[in-house]
Amino acid sequence: MSTEHSAQTRRPPALTLLMRNPLAGVFVALVAIFAISAVISPYFLSGYNMSVIARGLAFVGLVTIAQSSLMILGELDLSLGTIGGLCGVVSGMLMVQAGLPAPMALILALCLGLALGFLNGLLVTVLGLHSLVLTIGTAGIYGGAILVLTKGVAITGIPAGIQFLGRGDVLGVPVPFLIMLAVLAIALFLSLKTPMGRYMYAIGNNPAAARMLGIRVDRIRLLVFTLAGMLSALAGLLMVARLGTAQPSIGQTWVLAPIAAAVIGGVATTGGVGSPLGAIFGAGIIAIIENIIVLFGVSPYWQGVVSGVIVVLAISFDALSRRYLRRDGA
Amino acid sequence: MKKLAAMLAGVALAMPIAAAAQDAAGTTKKDSYRFLIVPKVVHPWFDKVNDGAQMAAAALKAQTGAEIEIVYSAPQTADVVQQVQIVESAISTRPDGIAIDLLDPSGNRGSLEAAQSQDIPLVIFDSVPPEGMQIPYIGSDFCEQAKIAARRLVEVLGGEGEVAIMMGVPTAPNHSIRAECHREVFAEHPGIKVVAEGIDNDSIETAQQQAAAIMQANPGLKGWVASDAAGPIGIGQAIVEAGKQGQVTLVGLDNLPEMLDMIRSGVADSSSASQPELQGYWSVMLLWAQATGAPVPGYLDTGNAFLTKDNLGN
Repeated sequence: MSTEHSAQTRRPPALTLLMRNPLAGVFVALVAIFAISAVISPYFLSGYNMSVIARGLAFVGLVTIAQSSLMILGELDLSLGTIGGLCGVVSGMLMVQAGLPAPMALILALCLGLALGFLNGLLVTVLGLHSLVLTIGTAGIYGGAILVLTKGVAITGIPAGIQFLGRGDVLGVPVPFLIMLAVLAIALFLSLKTPMGRYMYAIGNNPAAARMLGIRVDRIRLLVFTLAGMLSALAGLLMVARLGTAQPSIGQTWVLAPIAAAVIGGVATTGGVGSPLGAIFGAGIIAIIENIIVLFGVSPYWQGVVSGVIVVLAISFDALSRRYLRRDGA
Repeated sequence: MKKLAAMLAGVALAMPIAAAAQDAAGTTKKDSYRFLIVPKVVHPWFDKVNDGAQMAAAALKAQTGAEIEIVYSAPQTADVVQQVQIVESAISTRPDGIAIDLLDPSGNRGSLEAAQSQDIPLVIFDSVPPEGMQIPYIGSDFCEQAKIAARRLVEVLGGEGEVAIMMGVPTAPNHSIRAECHREVFAEHPGIKVVAEGIDNDSIETAQQQAAAIMQANPGLKGWVASDAAGPIGIGQAIVEAGKQGQVTLVGLDNLPEMLDMIRSGVADSSSASQPELQGYWSVMLLWAQATGAPVPGYLDTGNAFLTKDNLGN
């Protein structure tokens, strides 16, 4: 005991503060992967490559913020990817086929995302359906609607004016990444500094107890599902702006990756634990893994194995650091 | 001092010659080259492209002594977003050239422009460049390949019957061109009716599911053509599972081992095959030529082969 105490007293205060933070494990894992990549690959730290990673992270990051917020509530929405894809396709149709001005088309598509998220929330709260099961169904509907609308063919001719939102940079930082950071700041403010955030954690921990405390559980659920739909739509629109076409495949990879990112980032699937910031750290780990796999020229047949091993190592590192924290009494 | 002046004069005289040698097309040399091959998706057809690329690398190494590294980097799914991410990450490594099979020319345009802006030589194989972009491309005549298959099916069916078309990835230009050319041939024959079209997204499993459902819904279906290499393999499996071998004619596409087995076993009548090894081989050759500063042709046709039980052998 005295040895542990002396170890604690020897540790610099900043390090002690870092270790007390529940995000310390995933943050250190992120920094470690970043540092190792920088040492091993001479290309990793180039400005262009940093921009590539940040831009790639932005889109899945937005959906990760949405999914992690739902997971804190104890919910899951498997249709977020297809909401993003559908809203992207609809925005393309509104701009190209209906000839609407781009800002109006984008706003309407965001509203569609809100509506689809609201619909998911409504079905979960009113009918008392399990969100995981329900959204398997709605993902099928939204994904099917993409194929019905596009026949599988991308919508081209997206106005060049909006492509800045996906391809542009401000002071060398990709615009979609800046948008994601702004959304993350808002999500952190809401979850940490407002009653709504406290209610979300309370509901995630124990919905029945939250109800007894007078928290309007269904209203909060409905609100978070709705906002999650809108964030996914935003990701879809930004991807349309990035590609310059509304691809029917947008959102296909936004189903499992955000859940994995959130879990890596310490968000519990059972609810009540974690933070959108941790989830973004998790998404950052995944984004770096995807990047270094290409930089190192890993065979496509080994990519799944390599990325899986790195994810397992990152989670193990996080778990070990938590155990160390507990043992240390910090 | 005189020696120094003579040396400088010698250097000055040699400079134009050296500069001329440097500037002459195809004379830039390096000790090593690293070329990136980016297919549409992890798929056996693209493994053959990679085989061809490795052959070219070996040939170049033997002839020039330079180390030639082929980095084969494939998206796990046929998703343009993933492909763009791979190309953009690869640009960071400053390769000596990138050969890519585009999932969607419009969606890939940004990443190709990024590569061109960094003077990285490009070659497009099995696809066509985005409109307005000057990039050498390699492939067979996709339309002719499809027409060979469609005409064969019409011939086997005697010009009459219900047929179906399996499209691959609808946004992939080579797949959509083939599907359109199938339709053109069938439209020339009033007795042929296209009753269904499926989308398999270059997945054998999806092709099998789509084909099974289409044959259920259209019991009078007499024949199939496909627009991608995975399609006919899935269709063949569905034909066998439905017990319709001999009742439904399949004219396949390309020369994957499963396709060849189906022709040998009689599940498929024949196949109109592009030659992926040649596409990989010439992709590397054109990248290398560009890296040396040599001019390259804008288009290189690797041709098609028509495969039947008779000419396949064992």
